[in-house]
Amino acid sequence: MGLLSIYFKSNFLGLLKCLNKLNWFIVFFSLINLSVCIYEDQIGKFDWRQTYVGRIKFSQFDTVSTAKKIIVATEENVLAALNLKTGQVVWRHVFESASTGNIQLLAITDKVVTVSGANPYLVRGWDSATGVLQWEWSLSLENDDQSDFSEWWVQNDLLIHMLPVFGSHLEVSMYHLATGQNRGYTSKLPASWARDSSCVVTPPYYTCISGEKGSQQLISLDVTSQAVQLITRPLSEYVNLETYDGGIRAVDGSSVIPAFTIEDKKIIMIKNNKFEMLTTNVGDASASVALIDIANGPVVLQAWMDDNQGFTMTAHSVATGAELPELRVTDRNLKLPDPEVSSAVCTKSNREQLVCRVLFNCGDDSMHLMQQGGRVLWSREEALANVVAIEFVELPVSDLDAAIESEFDQKEAAKMYSSIWAAFSRRLQTQFTQLQTLIQSIQRGEGLEEDAPSALVRDYFGLHKIIVLVTDVGKIFGMDNLSGAILWQYYEADLDTEGVVVFTRRTARHPPNDAYLTVVGKQEGTGNGLIISLNPITGTLIGERLLKLDVQLLQCTLLHRPDNEKLHALILLDKEENVQVLPRSAAPLVENMFMYVAERNTARVQGYALVFNGQEVEAIRTWLIQLGGAAGARIVRALAKPPAERVHSPGRVLPDRSVLYKYVNPNLVLFVTEGPDPVHKDVVVATCVDAASGAIVAAQVHRRARALPHAVHTEHYLAYLYYNDKHRRTEIATLELYEGKTRWLPAGAAFSSLSSERAPSVERQAFILSAAPTAAATTVTERSLTDKHVLLALSSGAVVEVPWVYLEARRGGSGEEGVVLPAHAPELPLSGDARLNYNRTLARPAAIHAAPAGLESTSLVLTTGLDLFYTRVAPSKTFDLLKDDFDYYLITVVLAGLIVATYSTKYFASRKMLKQAWK
Amino acid sequence: MYFQSFAVTSLLVLFNYAACIDYDGWLNIKIEHSLNCGTEKYCSRGNIALKSIRAGAAVIDQIQFNKQHIDQLKSLADIDSFYTIKTIVTSADNSKGTEFYSSVKAKAFLDNGLSDVINAWVLPNGAVIAVSFQVTNSSQPLPNKSSNKINSNFYLRYVEQAPVPDTATYIQKLEREREAREKGDVKDNKSFLAKYWMYIVPIAIFVMISGASNPEPAAQGGR
Repeated sequence: MGLLSIYFKSNFLGLLKCLNKLNWFIVFFSLINLSVCIYEDQIGKFDWRQTYVGRIKFSQFDTVSTAKKIIVATEENVLAALNLKTGQVVWRHVFESASTGNIQLLAITDKVVTVSGANPYLVRGWDSATGVLQWEWSLSLENDDQSDFSEWWVQNDLLIHMLPVFGSHLEVSMYHLATGQNRGYTSKLPASWARDSSCVVTPPYYTCISGEKGSQQLISLDVTSQAVQLITRPLSEYVNLETYDGGIRAVDGSSVIPAFTIEDKKIIMIKNNKFEMLTTNVGDASASVALIDIANGPVVLQAWMDDNQGFTMTAHSVATGAELPELRVTDRNLKLPDPEVSSAVCTKSNREQLVCRVLFNCGDDSMHLMQQGGRVLWSREEALANVVAIEFVELPVSDLDAAIESEFDQKEAAKMYSSIWAAFSRRLQTQFTQLQTLIQSIQRGEGLEEDAPSALVRDYFGLHKIIVLVTDVGKIFGMDNLSGAILWQYYEADLDTEGVVVFTRRTARHPPNDAYLTVVGKQEGTGNGLIISLNPITGTLIGERLLKLDVQLLQCTLLHRPDNEKLHALILLDKEENVQVLPRSAAPLVENMFMYVAERNTARVQGYALVFNGQEVEAIRTWLIQLGGAAGARIVRALAKPPAERVHSPGRVLPDRSVLYKYVNPNLVLFVTEGPDPVHKDVVVATCVDAASGAIVAAQVHRRARALPHAVHTEHYLAYLYYNDKHRRTEIATLELYEGKTRWLPAGAAFSSLSSERAPSVERQAFILSAAPTAAATTVTERSLTDKHVLLALSSGAVVEVPWVYLEARRGGSGEEGVVLPAHAPELPLSGDARLNYNRTLARPAAIHAAPAGLESTSLVLTTGLDLFYTRVAPSKTFDLLKDDFDYYLITVVLAGLIVATYSTKYFASRKMLKQAWK
Repeated sequence: MYFQSFAVTSLLVLFNYAACIDYDGWLNIKIEHSLNCGTEKYCSRGNIALKSIRAGAAVIDQIQFNKQHIDQLKSLADIDSFYTIKTIVTSADNSKGTEFYSSVKAKAFLDNGLSDVINAWVLPNGAVIAVSFQVTNSSQPLPNKSSNKINSNFYLRYVEQAPVPDTATYIQKLEREREAREKGDVKDNKSFLAKYWMYIVPIAIFVMISGASNPEPAAQGGR
């Protein structure tokens, strides 16, 4: 102590000085070191983000600037620049998703020019290299009802707006592109021949087919010229009027030559104020026709897809009608459904060779950039910008693991190896195969390592899965969750994905049976049921394959009990209240099955009991409730518990060591309805209904509120979001259901909805959410041991993780095992470190899907929307996994040191003992 | 205002129920079932009449089950089927009536001596959203008589008003805390020892221990 004080005395001032200096360092470093929720080196390690733009509406090759790009404007109201070589997004602007963001025009002058919105319109100029907004002006039309028919184009640095008033005239206005200065007048061109259905715009011409049937005229007018010059020809010069069905279509692509097709057969272009029919006819009724300008003069480009011949592209010279053989492509294996030439550009290279780039926009929302010769440079699957259903699928175990697993499977072992010798020989066999694979792997390792980077087999921690995504357009994707790479795709043009559901009917855990996934949707047009069954690992159709039902479906579910082949049967309830079981052989397994059907617009909910009567399964209507009363309401959200949900513990331990038992009813469904109220404007009613008995378990009403379709429901608690009209803010209401301090049923007894007449106690609370949520979900883990967190996607592009304790009704006290709960606050904290996607902002997040990993601590999360974002979360921290930066070196050194120290002290101790013995 | 309504909810449960209902009026629930109906699908089982929704007192009038009723119920119970009840709710502003269905297992209904619980849920605007029947777990055997009375318990359940985020008490709490802190700043004139004893005591102990151990090496050196 004395020594210490001496040291201190002499250096005390020095120490203070040193601390003073350090202070500045601390300030300095805190400026650099911005707080982030993951370490910087972990960015992108567990997560990935894919950015999409949506289906192309307009596209243009940016040949003006040095860095070659394609500028696209999409149906999703996105303006983006794509790298010509890779197809990656260079820059992107996401406009409003409502009609105010609709892009009406994309033109490229020295700037990228867009017209967006719907009266008022916004005209904007963007820098094509950086995407920075250069100028903007707005334009509102007086004639609001007609404004939908507006046509826009850019000509000689003038923005031309044309508004046809059908049967009367055309209103044409011209504006200076950058400033919006009007040229001073709006010219009204008489055009009594203009008809709504049979007119096309091929700038600067406006062309119509007009007149009585049998004597139609083809009339065209250059709307920008000073003098009104009508070009009129009888239609009979071009097509046979007997068979003419009224089809007229402007050619695809951003062509510079005004041209259109008639009846999808003849191509007519306007040249020198004259119609000129091309000698080239349209090759196929479904062909996309485009006119492009290349060095030897304009060329007609046509592309179509044929079921037998595959993809075909042809090019003919406009002047001579001769085919350009170097641009012809026929590829039997290329699958581009309904290709449409979105834009094309051709240049002559130094060696007098044609270099062409054609951007195809396909019926499955994909875009492909093709060069001459038919090579696809890159493809983008823009269908993924509209994901409607997600399912995480487990991968199968490797063959070897499967053999070992079946060996140790108790039931099977008892069946097959009754004697000890059989088991022994089996053991030897497996070990021999193990040895074989080991040798094989060594041999292969010596050879080429060109195998797939990670084979599709289950990993040790079960983190590797396949994500099956069903998209709005009807394309189904299989995606690797670790890399985000698309493994397979399946396009079904007939699939209407409104209300589509995906079921995993057999996991990959049952070799030799393949995994089995079923998508239940509707058929386009008729609305009848459409069932697609496929193997989620390979994407091939299996089982029922593509099944088109001839009846509309009301509800579908899975049979909870698997059949002999470990397949869960699909139960379908159709409009006539008949039940179909697929496969039919599983019908006798139906027992104690219940279904509910909710009508969205009337809030009528009906319950059915499914009974097997010896021959077939029939549905008996057992209950009917009207959630809106007689006045009617609208169901905004109906949410049942996740199927096959595990509940780890039946109760919660309170601070006084008593147990509060959870009310865990697997049949509980939350309905959030919204309806008008004579006194309180709009009311939101949340009702918890037991779907088996039709009894209402709990209900509550919010006055002057509007419902939002976001809710979570797991174990004994529910939460849903609503908009409070009175305070103009979003709030989240939570409900927790408890049986009380004593159990209703003895431990292990199955819960029965039909014989429970007691009502659970309900704990309610509501919190303010200081953000606009767009999706909600909870984390899911394998055994539900881990805490549950609520995941909220916000319109700001963040995905935030909120621990359930913040939403609990009993906040402020002490919780389980004396854990202090956060103090009560009316506002839900959304802290920066709770943000899962750190600085990667997501455009329009629409849904969150969580799935369990093999590790208990971890939950896999996929957020969809315009962007896809995948990450994994550990709500209770990774308690079953060593940290990523775990210091193996240090622990080895310490361990080795300890061993050395033990043995050396042992040696010294024995020497000392020996010496003492000699004394 | 929030505080007030909160107090009302927490203290006066009965009054709260009454406060939940914006509307008062009569309510009539017609009960029909499909036992012993002859040619028709559903026939009357009874009627529940309420003078006032707010008061919630009901007059239940139901038929007595005769042998045919029981026999049909038994045949339903044999195939473990459902006994379905249809209810038609009429009120002052809903004269047309709203239909509801509910079912109980026929076997359970018989085993418990024809006793059931009827829950009718009412929205604050007086609209009924559900009428559900459940069997009470009373395990009374069916008395072997020619006619049996149905034991029904009727409960009118009100859809409660959901809690609102409790901002008023939170602000009050914050203000109280702030006041306490302000007062605390002025009043904190405890003595130096009283304030920092927790730092002084360990140092003192440390000094004492080192002081006690120091003489020992000196003594050793002296030897």
